[in-house]
Amino acid sequence: MYDFNVRVLLPYLPVFGKGALLTLEISALAILISFPCGLVGALMRISGSPLLRALGTGYVEVVRNIPLLVVLYVLFYALPVYGVPLNAFTAGVLGLSINSIAFTIEIFRGGFAAIPAGQHEAASALGLGPVQSLLLVIIPQVFRIVLPTLGNQVVSVVLGSAQASIIGVTELTYQTQSIGSATFRYFELFTMAALFYILCAQLIGAVWRLFTGRAAKAPLGI
Amino acid sequence: MIGSGHLASYLLLLLSGAAVTLKLSLGALALGSLGGVALGAMRSSRLALLRLPALLYIEGLRSIPFVILLFLIFYAMPLALDIDIPPYPAAISALSLHCSAYMAEVVRSGIESVPKGQWEAAASLGLGYVRIMRLVVLPQALRVMIPPTIGVYVSTIKESSLASIVGFVELLGQGMAIRESNAGRSTADVLVAVAFGYFAICFTLSRLGQHLERRTISTASVRR
Repeated sequence: MYDFNVRVLLPYLPVFGKGALLTLEISALAILISFPCGLVGALMRISGSPLLRALGTGYVEVVRNIPLLVVLYVLFYALPVYGVPLNAFTAGVLGLSINSIAFTIEIFRGGFAAIPAGQHEAASALGLGPVQSLLLVIIPQVFRIVLPTLGNQVVSVVLGSAQASIIGVTELTYQTQSIGSATFRYFELFTMAALFYILCAQLIGAVWRLFTGRAAKAPLGI
Repeated sequence: MIGSGHLASYLLLLLSGAAVTLKLSLGALALGSLGGVALGAMRSSRLALLRLPALLYIEGLRSIPFVILLFLIFYAMPLALDIDIPPYPAAISALSLHCSAYMAEVVRSGIESVPKGQWEAAASLGLGYVRIMRLVVLPQALRVMIPPTIGVYVSTIKESSLASIVGFVELLGQGMAIRESNAGRSTADVLVAVAFGYFAICFTLSRLGQHLERRTISTASVRR
């Protein structure tokens, strides 16, 4: 019978905690980068310019069909060949962002598609220009539609961030492995890591629902 | 650097890697889909005894990174159970478990999309649960399930690239092996070729899904 022993891991708790903080940090950065870029990308995809549309669509199709790990390897191993050396942290955040932008573009695009044409017409009938109607009428409604899905995207960025360990970002999964190679307590360690991610995902989900549930119920300022 | 002369000689190796990726993914997709249908049916069951374990399984597996699941099976299970788990069984079981949890959600929402009246009508015709599921509910749910199923399949194929980090040589593993055998000189070429390989597989699958979706929708509307 396996002797489940967490006590030997106590001295390593600070390292584990540091890793957890870094996981949250790179995830937060990737989200802060990818959500605004995703909105811009979605605007490109619905714009009147065929060039912008093609760029947006091409980006989404290419990135969505390539594994995150391959993107991370390209940034970390291939870019230095062209004279762009990135450290693991930068490559990790960038890779997560590139990946997340593609999914966020699709989320926002779905939101724009759900706005009835009457809203655009009503906004222009009120004398609003294209930019004004977008900012004041359309985008606030889009946000309400996409908020729940954006919450799922936050969780999936946190889960994806575990792959940054493979290029050497010293986040939770990396620290779990390195403590494992020192103590050989892989079973306890990966169970702890799994519990951390489950807790994170469930907490983010619950907080997001609490926060967006209120936003969805609030009356629109129209 | 960009000179791809020597890449030609590696293309065969990469192609064989792509074949291994396809084999690994197809196995995991088949197992994961079977598990997903069973779990999805459990999840939408009225019996708490079936619903709750399925809920825990689905929520739990969907909340842990695939890397952690893979490491649990590859590094932790052999220690805990005192058995040897080679890379291939570890990769295919992690992928199948992962895929089954995501498929279960697809199946659940598919089942829930079928109006309750269909259940009641089928039950009033004297059909039992299994026959209602097989003859009435699943055929209708299937139509709704196609796009999200393709999404889960594409993401499972992409996750299969992580098998390379536990030493299973599939497409990405083959690419990294070539890179190492060259002291990193062909890194960019090889990685671009690997990326293209995944793109070709996943893009084809997405297009196939769109085609299938259009076809089922048109035949379904004719039948109505």
